[in-house]
Amino acid sequence: MHSVGICGSDVHFWTEGVVGPFVVKAPMVLGHEGSGTVSELGEGVTHLKVGDRVAMEPGVPCRYCTACKGGRYNLCKDVKFCATPPTDGSLCRYYVHAADLCFKLPDNVSYEEGALLEPLSVAVHACRRSEVTIGSKVLICGAGPIGLVCLQVAKAMGAAQVVITDIDAKRLEFARHQMGADVTVLVTSRDGREVADQVVQVLGCNPDVTIECSGAETSIHAGIYATEPGGVLMIVGLGRPMATIPLLDAALKEVDIRGNLRYANDYPTALAMIASGQVNVKPLVSHRYSLEQALEAFEFAKKGEGIKVMIHCDKTKAL
Amino acid sequence: MGDTNISAVLLEKGNLKLEERPIPKPGKNEVQIAMHSVGICGSDVHYWVHGAIGDFVVRAPMILGHEASGTVSEVGEGVTHLKVGDRVAIEPGVPCRFCDYCKGGRYNLCHEMQFCATPPVDGSLARYYVHAADFCYKLPDHVSYEEGALLEPLSVGVHACRRAGVTIGSKVLVCGAGPIGLVCLLVAKAMGAAQVAITDIDTKRLEVAKQMGADFPVHVTTRDGREVADQVVRTLGCNPDVTVECSGAEPSVQTGIFATKSGGVLVLVGLGPPTINIPIVNAAVREVDIRGIFRYANCYPTALSMVASGQVNVKPLVTHRFSLEQTLEAFEASKKGEGIKVMIHCDKNKA
Repeated sequence: MHSVGICGSDVHFWTEGVVGPFVVKAPMVLGHEGSGTVSELGEGVTHLKVGDRVAMEPGVPCRYCTACKGGRYNLCKDVKFCATPPTDGSLCRYYVHAADLCFKLPDNVSYEEGALLEPLSVAVHACRRSEVTIGSKVLICGAGPIGLVCLQVAKAMGAAQVVITDIDAKRLEFARHQMGADVTVLVTSRDGREVADQVVQVLGCNPDVTIECSGAETSIHAGIYATEPGGVLMIVGLGRPMATIPLLDAALKEVDIRGNLRYANDYPTALAMIASGQVNVKPLVSHRYSLEQALEAFEFAKKGEGIKVMIHCDKTKAL
Repeated sequence: MGDTNISAVLLEKGNLKLEERPIPKPGKNEVQIAMHSVGICGSDVHYWVHGAIGDFVVRAPMILGHEASGTVSEVGEGVTHLKVGDRVAIEPGVPCRFCDYCKGGRYNLCHEMQFCATPPVDGSLARYYVHAADFCYKLPDHVSYEEGALLEPLSVGVHACRRAGVTIGSKVLVCGAGPIGLVCLLVAKAMGAAQVAITDIDTKRLEVAKQMGADFPVHVTTRDGREVADQVVRTLGCNPDVTVECSGAEPSVQTGIFATKSGGVLVLVGLGPPTINIPIVNAAVREVDIRGIFRYANCYPTALSMVASGQVNVKPLVTHRFSLEQTLEAFEASKKGEGIKVMIHCDKNKA
């Protein structure tokens, strides 16, 4: 293994021992945003060879069920997902994975970019399911790592304007100057309608698509109120299990509410976007640690400062 | 003409009266219709009882009625596809035709929509009414006036099932066996749904649903949405691909989310309280899409074909009939919630 990014879910399993229905009942290796170098091949593997630098798509589905055969393998009930109990993750020196879910990195793509394909794929899946396209006006709620990759993918898909909201002005500055946000909105109110009005005012119109990356109930409300009739509200951020929302408003203007579970058939796209320079995810890595410093890395990630914490697992600690 | 134009006017909340109105003349691209059959919808009753639905408030007298059919009695300038004597069903909402929604085909979302019996626009519960000719559909001889009036709720069913993606082999859950649940059931079956389960708190309604083709009537006796979802899945033998929620009740919407299979669709037809509590993370992480419905667009012709071909039989939905003069009685009957669809006959002959 070379580079493994820390995700909010890794931190959550560490601090709470549970994410939704998944409970840590036995020791489990963490990490699922990983890349490394092929060090040995199993029988039957022909598309990779020892020495190949690869990014790993962490979820291995069963391949036999209806969801798998239908192309929506992210919904496979028996998926083995790195660092989702009880499946071990890849935050270690050596790890074994299904070869077809390992994607060879071109020379111009770094290990860190390879690791970032994971959150980038979440964004690809979300933007695809939201039907962001050329000319779209997009609202992204939340300028954390996921909001930022969604911003980049939306722009890459041809969105005409992307407005991004957050309660943190520093995150918004980063979104604007480093990630290409057209407009930013600093959220200071807990009133969804107020926030929606703010968004519509700065954007100059209602967004066609809202991608909600914070999980906050107020933000979901804002998404419903702001989105254009006939548009889409994409729920990426996961908050509390039950939410009280103005569903009637959404229903009467046919604003569809869609969710996401990870990604499917999105890694190759994410890789192509990075390899071609269409998106630049390098600025997202704000902090680096060695594998020996994993605990420090997690403590830092838990604080919520910075954007993406990367752990380097190779013995030489090369970038 | 020497005729009168008795009209059922909602003067203000709680005050529904028959009044004489001038007989309207058709303008360019319009037709005048001698009204025949007008069904009463829950929204008509709601305006009568509460004086408002959401932001639509009755601020001036308004003629009720939007589920209608009649006979063309005069043709305005420029109308070529209809002639006097043609029996027509009336699609009640006339959009602006110029905005982006209209040009994009989703005219139901037009901000300037003029919809019968949605304030401040008059409805068609009268002897004579004028409407945009292109929103009047000629009924074949074998389709009755009542069936013509029923094209309105049937179109809601068509729009709902289309947006739900119901198709051949679909396992469908319909929540609520009122008139809308029943038309959704009919449309789902016509679209090739393999199995349709339908829920309701009322066993009499479930019996009707069964007669109309429901494979699995499910009697709801709890307010626990998850329990009902489990009941549905047990009865159906699997999770439905699509849920069409027609009741608007919070526990029922929750059932729709819990029951629908991962990657499936929950369509919201029933209108309930402004805010509701839902298991949103469950829907999100299983990619159960939630789609709302606002009336219909480009569905009337489909609804008409289905009725004309015999693909669906909506006749059993009409359980009560009244004359225009008995409008108040008709509304009282509808308000009580007995029966399914109350029909008002507006023609003088009461045929």
